[in-house]
Amino acid sequence: MHSLRYLRPANVEEAVRIFNENEDASFLSGGHTLLPTLKLGLARPAALVDLTGIKSLRHITVGGDVLSIGAATCHADVASSDIVRRHIPALAGLAGSIGDRHVRNRGTIGGSVANNDPAADYPAAVLGLGATVVTDRRGLVADDFFTGLYETALESGEIVTRIDFPIPQIASYAKFRSAASRYSVAAVFISHGQSGVRVAVTGAGTNGVFRAKDLEQALSDDFRPEALADLHIDPASMSSDNVGTPEYRASLVMVMARRAMAHPGTTQSYK
Amino acid sequence: MLNERAFKAVGKPLPRKEDLRLVTGKGRFTDDFNMPGQVWASMVRSPYPHARIVAIDVADALGMPGVLGVYTGVDCARDGLQPIPHNPVPSTNFDMKLTGPGGTKVFIGSHMLLPADKARHVGEAVAMVVADTRDQAQAAAEAVAVEYEELPWVADTLAAAEPDAPRLWDELPDNVLVDSSFGDAVATDAAFARAPHVVTMTAHIGRVTGAPLEPRAALGSYDAETGRYTLYAGSGGAVRQKREMAEVLNEPPENLRVISFDVGGNFGTRNRAYVEFGLVLWASKKLGRPVKFRAERSESFLTDYQGRDLVTEVSLAIDRDGKFLAMRASNLSNVGSRCASLSPLSKGAGLITGSYDIPVATLRARAVYSCTMPTQAYRSSGRPEVTFAIERLVDKAARELGFDRLELRRRNMVRPEQMPYVNAVGSTYDSGEYEANMDKLLALADWQGIEARRADAKARGKLLGVGFANYVESSIGTPKERADVIVRPDGVEVVIGTQPAGQGHETSFAQVTADLLGVPFDNVTITLGDTDVVSAGGGTHSGRSMRHASTVLALASVEIIEKGCALAAHCLGVERDAIQFDEGVFRVADRNTSLSWFDLAGRADDKSLPESLRGGLKVRCDSEMHTPVFPNGACCCEIEVDPETGGLEITRYSTVDDVGRCINPLIVHGQTHGGIAQGVGQALWEQCYIDPGSGQPTNGSFMDYGMPRFDNMPSFKTQIVEVLSPTNPFGVKAGGEGGTTPAPAVIMSAMEDALSEFGPMDIEMPATGLKIWSAIQQGRARLAASKTA
Amino acid sequence: MALVSMTVNGSAVAREVDDNTFLAFFLRDHLGLTGTHVGCDTTQCGCCVVHVDGRSVKSCTMLAAQAQGCAVTTIEGLATGDVLHPVQRAFHLHHGLQCGYCTPGMIMAAVNLIETHDGALTEEIVREEMEGNLCRCTGYHNIVKAILAAADEMSPSHAAAE
Repeated sequence: MHSLRYLRPANVEEAVRIFNENEDASFLSGGHTLLPTLKLGLARPAALVDLTGIKSLRHITVGGDVLSIGAATCHADVASSDIVRRHIPALAGLAGSIGDRHVRNRGTIGGSVANNDPAADYPAAVLGLGATVVTDRRGLVADDFFTGLYETALESGEIVTRIDFPIPQIASYAKFRSAASRYSVAAVFISHGQSGVRVAVTGAGTNGVFRAKDLEQALSDDFRPEALADLHIDPASMSSDNVGTPEYRASLVMVMARRAMAHPGTTQSYK
Repeated sequence: MLNERAFKAVGKPLPRKEDLRLVTGKGRFTDDFNMPGQVWASMVRSPYPHARIVAIDVADALGMPGVLGVYTGVDCARDGLQPIPHNPVPSTNFDMKLTGPGGTKVFIGSHMLLPADKARHVGEAVAMVVADTRDQAQAAAEAVAVEYEELPWVADTLAAAEPDAPRLWDELPDNVLVDSSFGDAVATDAAFARAPHVVTMTAHIGRVTGAPLEPRAALGSYDAETGRYTLYAGSGGAVRQKREMAEVLNEPPENLRVISFDVGGNFGTRNRAYVEFGLVLWASKKLGRPVKFRAERSESFLTDYQGRDLVTEVSLAIDRDGKFLAMRASNLSNVGSRCASLSPLSKGAGLITGSYDIPVATLRARAVYSCTMPTQAYRSSGRPEVTFAIERLVDKAARELGFDRLELRRRNMVRPEQMPYVNAVGSTYDSGEYEANMDKLLALADWQGIEARRADAKARGKLLGVGFANYVESSIGTPKERADVIVRPDGVEVVIGTQPAGQGHETSFAQVTADLLGVPFDNVTITLGDTDVVSAGGGTHSGRSMRHASTVLALASVEIIEKGCALAAHCLGVERDAIQFDEGVFRVADRNTSLSWFDLAGRADDKSLPESLRGGLKVRCDSEMHTPVFPNGACCCEIEVDPETGGLEITRYSTVDDVGRCINPLIVHGQTHGGIAQGVGQALWEQCYIDPGSGQPTNGSFMDYGMPRFDNMPSFKTQIVEVLSPTNPFGVKAGGEGGTTPAPAVIMSAMEDALSEFGPMDIEMPATGLKIWSAIQQGRARLAASKTA
Repeated sequence: MALVSMTVNGSAVAREVDDNTFLAFFLRDHLGLTGTHVGCDTTQCGCCVVHVDGRSVKSCTMLAAQAQGCAVTTIEGLATGDVLHPVQRAFHLHHGLQCGYCTPGMIMAAVNLIETHDGALTEEIVREEMEGNLCRCTGYHNIVKAILAAADEMSPSHAAAE
């Protein structure tokens, strides 16, 4: 790997300052996407500003109808959290379905959300629950946060500090995993809560995570799996690679949506 | 000659001797070695599938921090380096004799460490950078400016064989380097002409890679005082690497020492020398520093020798009763850009008729060059390909002609009383009870319970499919092996030239030695992998090691027992003939005195011994054994397909494998398990895919090359059968490849069964979720169309 | 360059290393603990798994500097003198290894898995939870057996029964 400086601030303010002081710096959280990217020479930041040493970014709390998870909380902690399991079990299940157990011990929710990999799981939960991504300078609602493949509304030097999830009446997640990468070929997060029904799709769209409005409409009228029976996803909006054609992904999205509906309050992983 | 009643270790499931170091982190893999003053090599690799090297500008790279040298193919040529002498045409008396077109000598394109003329596949090393650190070498490699002239390329196997395909070698009129025919063409044609039924199939058994988990690595050093080179490099046989690298460097073999201790997986990928092995040695002399290379996994995917890639076209002529009359096959092997090995073509050639008694057959065997990484033997080289062809063809025949697929097989299997059986292309099957294997398997797999399980799966929305395949394979391999057996007061050491990469030779060879000499298993140690100690040996491939090792050890034991008797006679003051040797003890009849091996060894260095008994209690024994053996068996698996997603789960997998004498069942079962996973991997996930538009390989990591994993493999039911081979003292066949050989066929057989309601299935391996789902969609559309029509 | 200090297998260590040094290579190249292997560059194979503060991590995807002040356990630190850890012993007895390259990471992963489940494991849990470790030799069959046997031996109920 190319040479770089590793910096480990103790608080958010210091992190911002260090980031601004170092030209071509990059924030490092769990590093399970960033570090492999650097190994392959696909990015070459001059400095890494490690956010995982900041204690204030690690917490799981409930206040009112909102579940807050600190950005540097690792997937394993979300998966095993009694609070998350009690209030949004599908989210705990989702966290427990990411990568493998070692990855879950390092990867963080903030890192995943900020990276916005089009096949990542967390963006589906954030969008599917209508969460708010809170940064060191503002709160961004999910619908405004994810802007494209690996693109978010984050500005340079802006740090995700926590994610606020409105606690839904019910939520569920179903994913179909790639045999090789273990990322989702298509996955659907469905919630029914304060702001109605939300359906978020990851792994499948040409432009990354997105809301399936037709499905939301149908489920708003009738929140049962049968309500999805006659719906289809337009393959034109689906991505294509060796793992899946647009038609295959469009079909999988509907299958996963129906299975998510059939298993409320859980995460189901298929392969 | 062998007294089975004396076996105390042979046949026992003894845990392995090699485990202690490996479970405690004390293994000795190549990258674990470092030398003082060591520097690092990194390769500049071609981004093009086929391109002339116009110029290489090394100036920028040479100016970068830490860089010690940049070397190209021109430098190799200037120093007179020789091509790697792969010697790819199989040469035992029993290998199928492959020739070039029209009976000509096979043209072998020269494999220089670095090419001076052109790059012939994406990833081919065209220059090497050496620098103080690995990071520096990698950075400088990116700064080497290579000017290429892109050339037309061909990667696909069938396309490469076309007469007007882009040519890789000017010395050939096209890319076809092998074109041989076997069997009786006239009789076969006649049988086909009068046959009431002919069934035909074409299949491409695709390109895969071995993916041993230890990335390949090499550490080379040169000692100017002694003029000797040392190479640390994990391989399938250090002795072979020593001989070949000596030729490359124009050095006598004694000037090389090759060390290959623990090897992190091989499966064939390490059986041939890699250019980096020669390059680090060459650079170490030029720079006077040890030079190390370690491949990234992405480099391994690009440039480890790959496997399979065979197109087979087969036809079977069948009479009205289902008796096979004749077979015709045409096999086309893609050797890649250079011919490192023809084993994938030749090993299958002798086995095209499989486990069946087919009176006449012909085979055309061809090999082509293409702009891809060279192929090599890969786990059960050549056999899964031909097993796939015959077994899938028999399934097809059963389906099309209305036979039960098991009954059709039974009607045609080679029977025990036909052994030794000469098949229609001249291979002599040594022994086996093929139909009995089938019966054992059907019981093991609970064939009777299938329909109940199918109904159960259906109730859960799943499609259950059952696959079945018989197999027979051959184990040939390099015919020569050597063993040194040395008895010392504290134990027996065996030095031998095989090269395990997990097969447990330190354990199973010790079991054999222990019982041959009548000493405790714990007192035997096996020494491997250092050419300064191991003077000769054939390495490990083609399931040869247990058979060759037990044979040479049996020969050696006779000699050393004779030596022991002579020494014991001297020590006890009697004539040689008065000494009886039994179960590790030398004694004189009717006398109460005896000597153990270790007593004798304590006296073997005695200066007062007569000349003929001096020199220690040791022997060196060489054996040469050409006769092949034919492991065989049967295999059954069940899968459940999720028709909505194309997802799949293997729910049951059973095998019966006749391995001949099983020295260590724990190890043999383990070999079967691993072999199954590799065969299943090819059927379901693994493929080295080349983008047809760009010629770029698309699989560069475990992110895009699907592997067998904990959660996609079942537990297995494996049963060992021991029909002893008459060809060698212990009756060993082989146990390393039987798991792999029928696996692609049996998985695809199960797939076809699962999807049978949708009509004939056309899915090429690997049968990914996408392909399964698409086949179901097409099948449904066909069914819908036929209903409306 | 920075001074990185941590506890490895119970001993305090400190080394001056480049910032871009991964924990796996810190262990291998700077501490000579070559039992931790590196089999890929995309965090998939698991040959490099070690424990950091009691959790299993892929040490090829963690900078040494990120383990500053942590307690690291590697395969070399698992046995107690000549007495193998139950998981090491189970791998040996059940032939859960062939070439041995994936084995250190496999064993470290298994130890952590058993610990986090208090020994109560099923084949299904083992297969789901171990999927971040690749083995090319064994087909996983005997590794699953070994882990279940070790889990049984390490479970509190087993200890109580003795």
